[in-house]
Amino acid sequence: MRRILITAAVAALGTGLAACGSTNAGSGATSSGGTASAATTSCTYAGVQKELYTKGVLTVATDKPAYPPWFEDNNPANGKGYESAVAYAVAKQLGFKNSQVKWAYEPFNDSYAPGPKKFDFDINEISVSPQRAQAVTFSTTYYNVQQALVALQGTPIVTKHTPADLKGYVFGDQVGTTSLAFINSAIQPTQTPKVYETLNDVKQALQTHQIAALVADTPTAQYISSSEIKHSVMVGQFPSSGEHYGLLFAKGNPLVTCVDKALATLNKNGTLAALEKKYLQIYLTVPNLKP
Amino acid sequence: MTGPPQTSFGAEGRGPRLLSSGRGAVAVSTASTIVVLAGLVLLFWLAPGSAAVRHTFFNPQDMWKSFIGDPKAGYYSVGAALWLNIRMFLAAEVLILILALVIAVVRQSVSPVMFPIRVVSTIYVDVFRGVPLILVIFAIGFGVPALNLGFISTQSAAVYGVLALVLSYSAYVSEVYRAGLNSVHQSQVAAARSLGLSQWTSLRYVILPQAVRNIIPPLLNDFISLQKDTALVGILGAIEANKAAEIFSDTVFNYSSYVVAAILFLLLTIPLARFTDHLIARDRRRRLAGAPA
Amino acid sequence: MSTAGTVPADGSSTALALSIEGLQKSFGASAVLKGIDLSMASHEVICLIGASGSGKSTLLRCVNLLEPVNAGRIILWGQDITRPGIDQNAVRRHVGIVFQSFNLFPHMSVLRNITLGPVKALGLPRRQAEDEARALLDRFGLLDKQADYPDRLSGGQQQRVAIVRALAMHPRLMLLDEVTSALDPELVAEVLDVIRELASGGMTMLIATHEMGFARDIANRVCFLAEGRIVEDSPPAELFSNPKDERTQRFLRRIIDAGRL
Repeated sequence: MRRILITAAVAALGTGLAACGSTNAGSGATSSGGTASAATTSCTYAGVQKELYTKGVLTVATDKPAYPPWFEDNNPANGKGYESAVAYAVAKQLGFKNSQVKWAYEPFNDSYAPGPKKFDFDINEISVSPQRAQAVTFSTTYYNVQQALVALQGTPIVTKHTPADLKGYVFGDQVGTTSLAFINSAIQPTQTPKVYETLNDVKQALQTHQIAALVADTPTAQYISSSEIKHSVMVGQFPSSGEHYGLLFAKGNPLVTCVDKALATLNKNGTLAALEKKYLQIYLTVPNLKP
Repeated sequence: MTGPPQTSFGAEGRGPRLLSSGRGAVAVSTASTIVVLAGLVLLFWLAPGSAAVRHTFFNPQDMWKSFIGDPKAGYYSVGAALWLNIRMFLAAEVLILILALVIAVVRQSVSPVMFPIRVVSTIYVDVFRGVPLILVIFAIGFGVPALNLGFISTQSAAVYGVLALVLSYSAYVSEVYRAGLNSVHQSQVAAARSLGLSQWTSLRYVILPQAVRNIIPPLLNDFISLQKDTALVGILGAIEANKAAEIFSDTVFNYSSYVVAAILFLLLTIPLARFTDHLIARDRRRRLAGAPA
Repeated sequence: MSTAGTVPADGSSTALALSIEGLQKSFGASAVLKGIDLSMASHEVICLIGASGSGKSTLLRCVNLLEPVNAGRIILWGQDITRPGIDQNAVRRHVGIVFQSFNLFPHMSVLRNITLGPVKALGLPRRQAEDEARALLDRFGLLDKQADYPDRLSGGQQQRVAIVRALAMHPRLMLLDEVTSALDPELVAEVLDVIRELASGGMTMLIATHEMGFARDIANRVCFLAEGRIVEDSPPAELFSNPKDERTQRFLRRIIDAGRL
């Protein structure tokens, strides 16, 4: 009796292990995706239906709160703010009416989780990197990023910010932004920067003197220093390191091909530049910092 | 002739049943355990999304990278960050054990002189057991710096985190101490006071040692809970293990760093749990070894 | 053998050790002691007898101030220990008490149980306290148990250790609260022997007990408690053979019927 039971157990375990070897090769990974249809999809409203999360509707995701100048009044659906405007512009290129665009909430940390997504694409100031591209698919760029510093008026960093000076300050930034990599590789501070969960926490930390300067992309930094934190000033922006924002898709989602075409069109016809001018207030006189 | 009536307790003369004792039973339980575990492993392996999950959560290269860290690439070492958690919970635990004891003793006192302090202690316990720890951390970590109180307002995030942990946990642990103090029979107090020992000396040498022995499991439970709650201090910007895992994860879009953090936390807590089992067993052995004559 | 009436050989005075006047004690609404008057000379042994709930334990616990009194006075070697502002710890250092349930400290060895009081309350150096403790243990045949924990000892051994613990404080008065009531019968004798030895050594003792035969042997006087008062107070020979009060008679009759006398 005992021998029968042990044999049965070993057989079950062995079958399981053997099965492992054969399932690795073709299990649910969608890395190769269904690209056969992409080449023949026409990028029209009717043509992209089968690639959508919900038929008839373009589902766009972003985080809460939705910060200016990327969105306004924390309401992505009002079409105001650079990213809201870009999303609606892309939708229009694909043949969607404004009323056919629906917004979804996706916390940044969840946006790259494996498995099916609850949106068509996510627009949330997400920088593209090769590592990240292993987990998700990115569109081409819709904005080229530079990092900038915001500090409180009258604090030392406002006047002393040579590369050597910068090493001595405590910087703060939001988790998930690429500002941290930039700080550590370009500035190389001697004290470990502080990393906060939300941009609001970083702003709070600046106001309570827990950090000397906040690091964010230039439009965000401009908005904060001009409208949000009293007595703050944008110390300057750093030269570009090649960073850029892209729209985030589920890995292998074929819709990206049509969206890339839409972005190319918007770029060529000057829409993106006009939106940048309208919402991101790029002034050529922003002081440039050397890291 | 027939002797006294036979009392039968079941199977007559066939020895122990198959599944109740002996080698047969051990074999069956071993086999069934293997079958269940194998089944779970199979389920995990054969699920359609298994490869993606394994790559995203259990990717050895990413686990190693997150363990080592690479600040220039934008993420820190989860292993090194754990050292901050360890320092925080060691500091917090010492302070908690002291503060909670003071609160418990105050609340157990009966003298009228202590009345105002007793009231304050009760309010303190009610408030800090009621407010979620994460809110306490927020309030202290962002509130105290905002008050601009000189050097009090310029401490590091870890200091505020420890302060919040101490305030919150002392409220819980003081209740555990009270249970322990109440579990010591009043006759022990009588015996100690009858020797002419003062209230404090009785507490220190007779009551507390017995009280604490009785509450070691719940005290340890709270300590393990504390070790994990140090992760919350990350919201103040401190780079502790969970925060480092999050930074890696958000930078590289891979969750394997969280698995590394989880493994590291387990490596901390499991030996502690076994050590406590050992303490309890040793205390029992010493006290109860040998039947009374 | 009773030591009644003998003058101690060392010539010490037989001044009053203990004088209780009009003692009253209630627990909430229920009055347990309704007016106790009792005096004890040094080296006297008094046994308190009475039904359960008659207040024997309460009376003893009032004498060493474990229980606060509601009315009346307790005068110990000429000092009123019930006056406000009295140092209770100091009083208790001179009055030893042994409880029915032994109450040894379970987390300490026998030796430490005994030395805790002398070291912490009397301030003796540890070495001296341990030497004295071992001498006492040896005197009562318990030296080999010094490193054991109380849970390893029999009931009789634990109670003897409890007596030693009280003696280690060099008390001038010993209170014994039904110290054999929780023991198996075969263990009672060893404890009674210890008490006999203390009595013959001249220790002033107030003993609450159910052991009537023992009381008759050892006591200078026996007091019968009923309804919160001392109803009868006489030398044992007199009380047991010729009880005057009707309640005493009823009590003794019940004891005799139960075969305990």
